[in-house]
Amino acid sequence: MIARSMPTDPTIRTLSGSYPWQADHIDWPVTTEVGPGLGGVIACESRVSWLDPSAGLLMYRGVPVERLAGGVSFEEAAYLLITGLRPEDGPAACAAFARRLRSSRALPAGVIELVRALDPTVHPTRLLRAGVSALGCHELSVDDELSGAEHWRELRIVGQVAALVAEIACHRRGEPSPAFDEEESLARGMLRALGGDEPDAADVDLLDLLWVLYADHGLDAPSFTSMIVASCLADPYYNVVAGLSALRGPRLGGATERVLDQLLPVVPAGEAGARAWVRELLAGGGRLAGFGHRMYRMADPRAVVLRRELALAARRRGRPELFAVFRAVEEEASRLLAPRGVHVNINFYAAPLFHLLGAETPLLSSLYAVGRMAGLVARVHESLAEGRLFRPVSRYVGPAPEGER
Amino acid sequence: MIGGRRSVEVQRYGRGLEGLVAGESAISRIDGALGRLSIRGHAIEDLAAARSFEEVSHLVLFGALPDEAALSAWTAELGRWRRPPGPALAALGRVPRRAHPLAKYRTMLTVAACLAPAAEQPDDDPRWSRPARILSWSASLAAAAIRHLNGEAPLDPDDASLSHAAAFLHRTLGRAPDALELRAFEASLIVQIEHGLHAAALAALTVISTGADLGSAVLAGMGALSGVRHGGANQLAFERLARLGDEAAARRWAVEALARRERIPGFGHRVYRCPDPRVRVLEPHAEALLEAHGLGERYRVYLALRAEVERALSPRGIFANVDGITGLIYHPLGLPPSAFTIPFCLAIQTGWMAHCLEYTPGGAMIEPGAVFLGR
Repeated sequence: MIARSMPTDPTIRTLSGSYPWQADHIDWPVTTEVGPGLGGVIACESRVSWLDPSAGLLMYRGVPVERLAGGVSFEEAAYLLITGLRPEDGPAACAAFARRLRSSRALPAGVIELVRALDPTVHPTRLLRAGVSALGCHELSVDDELSGAEHWRELRIVGQVAALVAEIACHRRGEPSPAFDEEESLARGMLRALGGDEPDAADVDLLDLLWVLYADHGLDAPSFTSMIVASCLADPYYNVVAGLSALRGPRLGGATERVLDQLLPVVPAGEAGARAWVRELLAGGGRLAGFGHRMYRMADPRAVVLRRELALAARRRGRPELFAVFRAVEEEASRLLAPRGVHVNINFYAAPLFHLLGAETPLLSSLYAVGRMAGLVARVHESLAEGRLFRPVSRYVGPAPEGER
Repeated sequence: MIGGRRSVEVQRYGRGLEGLVAGESAISRIDGALGRLSIRGHAIEDLAAARSFEEVSHLVLFGALPDEAALSAWTAELGRWRRPPGPALAALGRVPRRAHPLAKYRTMLTVAACLAPAAEQPDDDPRWSRPARILSWSASLAAAAIRHLNGEAPLDPDDASLSHAAAFLHRTLGRAPDALELRAFEASLIVQIEHGLHAAALAALTVISTGADLGSAVLAGMGALSGVRHGGANQLAFERLARLGDEAAARRWAVEALARRERIPGFGHRVYRCPDPRVRVLEPHAEALLEAHGLGERYRVYLALRAEVERALSPRGIFANVDGITGLIYHPLGLPPSAFTIPFCLAIQTGWMAHCLEYTPGGAMIEPGAVFLGR
C-alpha cells in the first residue's frame, strides 16, 4: 500500500485522497507528487470518465455509473463513452451506432481457423490476443495507412472482440461457431455462446450491466498501455493486443477469476463456515481476491451496485446460498480489513454474476475485456484528437561511460 | 526503475509526461546535448565496432559483457531456440499474404504464447530461457513473415551454430550473408538494441507491472513500435528518399519541402539535438553496402538530402536520425520497406526485456492518473 501524505502546497496535486481529480483546464507543466508506479502523476486530461476515489464516485461523461446501471445497454453506454452524447438526446444516432457494433461480429474464416487450431484449454485471454492479432492481418494490408485511423472511426474492433470471445467460449465447449443476427444485442449473442439457447431478458440486462460497469475505470494499466500505443499512431489491432497483454496480468483481469477459484469451493460450507474460512485466511496472512483497490479508500461504487444484483440473480436462478455466502464473506472480511483501508472491489461481485450467467471461470478476464473495449476506444479517440505522445525519461544510475565522468 | 519502492517526490512535467523522471535505470545513458549513447558504461561506437549481437545483448540483459564461458553459454541458449514452434509458423497460412509483415510476426508470437504457457510463469528462470526464447523465436518468425509477403515458404535450415544476425539473414534471404552484409546488419542491430525509456519501453514496463509475462510485455512494446511516430518511421523515411531520382532532385525537393515547412521523415529526434551517434556509426556501413550492390547513387542522394536539410535545420537542433539510415542497410540486403521495422523490433526488444528484468522485483503497478475536464 502506498504511504499517503497530505499536500502542503495547494498547487501540488497529489496521491492524497483529497485531490479532486477534476478541473476546468490544466495549465501544463504541472507540479505533482510522483510515487511508485507513477502514482499521483497526471498523465493526461480526459473527458471520458471521472473517478473520484475519495467520494467513491465513478462517472461516465458526467453521468454517475449508478444512474446508468440497469438503465442502458452496453451499446448505449459505449455510445455515451465514445461520442460523449447522451443516448436519449439522439435515439436514431445511438441505434445506428449500436447496429455498427453488432454488424461487425462476422469474423473472417482464417481468424476462426486460427483460433480453432489452438488447444481449447489454453487460457482464453491468450486465444483472444491471437485472434485479435490475426484479425489485424485480415483487416489491414501492407498498402494501408499504417495508423489505421479509419478503423478507429469504424469501431469494428468492439464488435469483433465480442465475437472472438463468443467464438472462444464455443471452442472451449466443442460447439460450432456462433452465428450472430445484426439485430441481436452484443449481450444476448454472448449469452447464447455461453450456452443459453434462449437467454431470458433478465440475464441479458445483467450482462449489459456488467459490461457497462467494466467499460472504463480511469487510467489503469491496460488503458495506459493502450494510450501509449495509440500515441505512437499504431493501428487498433496492435493497440488491443497490447491492452490485452496488460489486462491478462494476474494483478488485473486474473483477479476476477481468482475470486471464483477462491470462493466457489467455500459455498458448500454455508455462511458460518465461510465466515470461519475468511477469518482463518486473513489471520494466516492470506489475500482475499476481490478486495483492495489502488484508488478507492471505501467500497468500490460498482461493487455496491453488483451486490444488489447478485442478491436478485441468485434468487432468480435458485442459488440463494451463493449470495448468502458471498455476502457473509464480504461482511466478515470488511470487518477485518476496513480498518486497514481495504474494501470490496468490483471483481468480488462481478465474478459470481458471470458464473451465474454460465461463464466458465477462465473466461472471466475475456468477458471483462469486451466491456472495457468501450472505454479503450473512447480514450484512444480522445488522445488521437489531441495528438498526445508520452515521453517521460529515466534517471541513469549505471556505471559512468568510459572516458567520461 | 519506475516501480521501485522509492519515496514520493515532487516533480514538474509537461503534457505527455514530458520531462518527468519516471524512474531510475542502469541500462543506458543518453546525452542528447553531446550526442552520446552508452550502454552500461560502454560507448555505442565501441560496441558496434568490436562486439557481436550476442555480446551486446548479454550486456544489455545481464549487466556485463560476457566472459568466454558466459558468451558460449548465452550463444548456445540463443541457438537452442532458433527453430520456432510449428503451429506458430502454420498461423501464416491463415492470414492474407498482403498483410503487414510486422502484424504477421506479431500474430505468430501470440500463437507461440498459446503453446508454451507453462514456461511463461513468473517463477520461470528469467535470466536465460525467456529472453533467449523470445529473441530467437522472434528472429525466425520474423524471417518467415518477410518471406510470406513474397509468397515464399519459411526456411528451416540447421542453423543452431550460426550467429543470431547471420541466422536471421539466412532464414530471410535463403542464402548466407557475406561478411560486409553481416557486419552492416549486425551493427544496425547493436545501435538499436536499447534506447532508454521511450514510448515502447514504457508500454512494455506497464504490462510487466501487472504481473504479466515477458512475452506480453514485448507484444505491447511492439504495438508502440509499429506506429508511424516510432518504428514505422524508417519505412516512411526510405520511401521518401526512394522517390528522389538523383542528387539534384534531392536538393530541389528538400528546398521545396523546407519552404513548405513540411516535416521531413528521417530527420529530428526528441532527445538528440545534435548529430545522432547511431547515424555516425551506420553511415559507413550503408555506404559500403550500397556501393557493393551497385547502388552507390542512392547513398549520394541520401547525403545530398541530409546536407540540404541539416544546413537549414541544424541551427534548430534537427539532424539526420537513425530511422533515415537503417533503410539504406536493409534495402541493399533485399528487405522490402514494409519489413524495415522488423530488425528494429528484433534489436530493441532486448532493451525492453532488460527494463522489465530491472523492474520486476517488487515493483508497483503502473497506474498514473487523469484529470477529468468539465462535468
